[in-house]
Amino acid sequence: MFYREAGQFKTSYAADMAVFPIRQDRIGLAVILMIAFVGIPLFGNQFFLSSVMIPFLVFSLAAIGLNILTGYTGLISLGTAAFMGVGAYACYKLTTFFPDVNLIVWILASGFVSALVGVLFGLPSLRIKGFYLAVATLAAQFFLQWSFVRVPWLYNYNTSGAIEVPEHDLFGIPITGPNALPETRYLVLLTIVTVLTWFASNLIHGRIGRAWMAVRDMDIAAELMGIKLLDTKLLAFAVSSFYAGVAGACMVFLWYGSAEPEVFTINQSFLILFMVIIGGLGSLLGSFLGAALIYMLPIALRVLPASLGVPIAAATVEHLQFIIVGALIIFFLIVEPHGLARLWQTGKQKLRMWPFPY
Amino acid sequence: MRAPGDGHGIMAGDVLLAVDGVSLSFGGVKAITDVSFDIRKGEIRAIIGPNGAGKTSMLNVINGFYHPQKGRITFKGEMRRRMRPYEAASQGIARTFQNVALFKGMSTIDNIMAGRTLKMHENFFWQCLRHGPAMREEVEHRRFVEEIIDFLEIQAIRKTPVGKLPYGLQKRVELGRALAMEPELLLLDEPMAGMNLEEKEDMSRFIVDVNNQYGTTIALIEHDIGVVMDLSDRVVVLEYGRKIADGSPAEVSSDQAVIDAYLGVPH
Repeated sequence: MFYREAGQFKTSYAADMAVFPIRQDRIGLAVILMIAFVGIPLFGNQFFLSSVMIPFLVFSLAAIGLNILTGYTGLISLGTAAFMGVGAYACYKLTTFFPDVNLIVWILASGFVSALVGVLFGLPSLRIKGFYLAVATLAAQFFLQWSFVRVPWLYNYNTSGAIEVPEHDLFGIPITGPNALPETRYLVLLTIVTVLTWFASNLIHGRIGRAWMAVRDMDIAAELMGIKLLDTKLLAFAVSSFYAGVAGACMVFLWYGSAEPEVFTINQSFLILFMVIIGGLGSLLGSFLGAALIYMLPIALRVLPASLGVPIAAATVEHLQFIIVGALIIFFLIVEPHGLARLWQTGKQKLRMWPFPY
Repeated sequence: MRAPGDGHGIMAGDVLLAVDGVSLSFGGVKAITDVSFDIRKGEIRAIIGPNGAGKTSMLNVINGFYHPQKGRITFKGEMRRRMRPYEAASQGIARTFQNVALFKGMSTIDNIMAGRTLKMHENFFWQCLRHGPAMREEVEHRRFVEEIIDFLEIQAIRKTPVGKLPYGLQKRVELGRALAMEPELLLLDEPMAGMNLEEKEDMSRFIVDVNNQYGTTIALIEHDIGVVMDLSDRVVVLEYGRKIADGSPAEVSSDQAVIDAYLGVPH
């Protein structure tokens, strides 16, 4: 009824193969992009931009990276935070060596550094699968985290052991450092996330994405069809780590402003894995939904009682947060194990049929 | 679709694939012992035998998934001791599986499109943009895939995730995926297992049509003797990993060793 593609005829294969073949979806996407690019920077306050939207985008980007690896290629990784760290430290080193080069270039370049490291730690994936691979990626997590603490060169021999982000300009407007407005940081990040999401969607809908999913669903058949397993898996590791690296660089440069090695711990890796599982394995939309649920829900729970004037101690709120988020995770896993993205699809199907049951 | 295998200098009736003295064992278990046979261009060659005779192992040897300890395999005049699955696929050997091995999370179209992977070459950069050459390539291969979909009469399930399809249709999609590789040699591992009569008739028709229209050489493992006798040009019979008979369906079915293998020997 509300969401119906009747009457929208495709006259070419290209139109039929579009990522959003249905007009309502295209309109919806345009509206979301308009709100994100115009509405939120105009009307969002400082807290909403820098404490809600920027982290949400950073986590979304990391979740997309992990989703490419785990959701699309079927390789479980527990090292996402470490690869984010590689991106962050690479970007920090690159900007100290060449401070005059545009920061965006270095953010993307640090993604490539992270991709390289990802490929290195992805090499065992040809031989081991499932939980065993997850344990192998733990090695990446612990080794890299150790390097962030023990290799002083990485943080320029700071006594604090933390990395501080100096001020950088983009076309004369500061985008990092204390003088950067949240609006500019948000817009820079949003642009990066939008472009990279578009790339990911293109990859997934083409030859490479099909090869990834073929390896995930039935690796023997994929191999006998001429898909090289090692190449395909390593490419997935590379692309996934690239996304994680860019997310890490953005996290430190556009969100935190400084970072310690404790940011890139295994907890962070698990958090991103939860986002992917709850959002929906093998769905880009799911990466955003998962990031929104896991990151924004605690904020909502913290802000809500205060805004309603309910007097609760801060510690109680914290405890309640854990309980509610945990309960919600279990609830979602039971009710919809395929994640929020599947819930959204079911909802669309219902809208299409309404008011009839089927 | 053009007939695959044009221009390789192998004419119909020539030997396309020769298996020569192949032995395969897993530790102490001998799966195949000194088996030799050939497959001629354009024929339908059946491989039959009781359970555990080594038929599927033979297919796995042919497309490079298992490496035999002894023996040679010659494909299109090129002899090799070890063939990797990737090489087998790029040289034109495609197969279907005894237990359907489709990509369950993908739609029918994507499954068959995945069969075109080896024919698609646009680089990573264009894949990221999905415009220009990459999109042209996608559309071009989509057109080819649509021809296969028409041929197999599965238009209605184009966009259905294959995990939701009934078994008979899954087998058909799997055949489509193998055809998408434009193979010269198509290995079918029990394409009719678990099908009812109508589905078997449909599948038989597709196999004969593939063979006639595209000139694809087919090696077929099948337990339904009626189907084997009707479809195949020549039959090779395995028992306990050894070849016990080889010849036309009529010759094989009157061979005493084959009758003994299937019906048992009176004591």
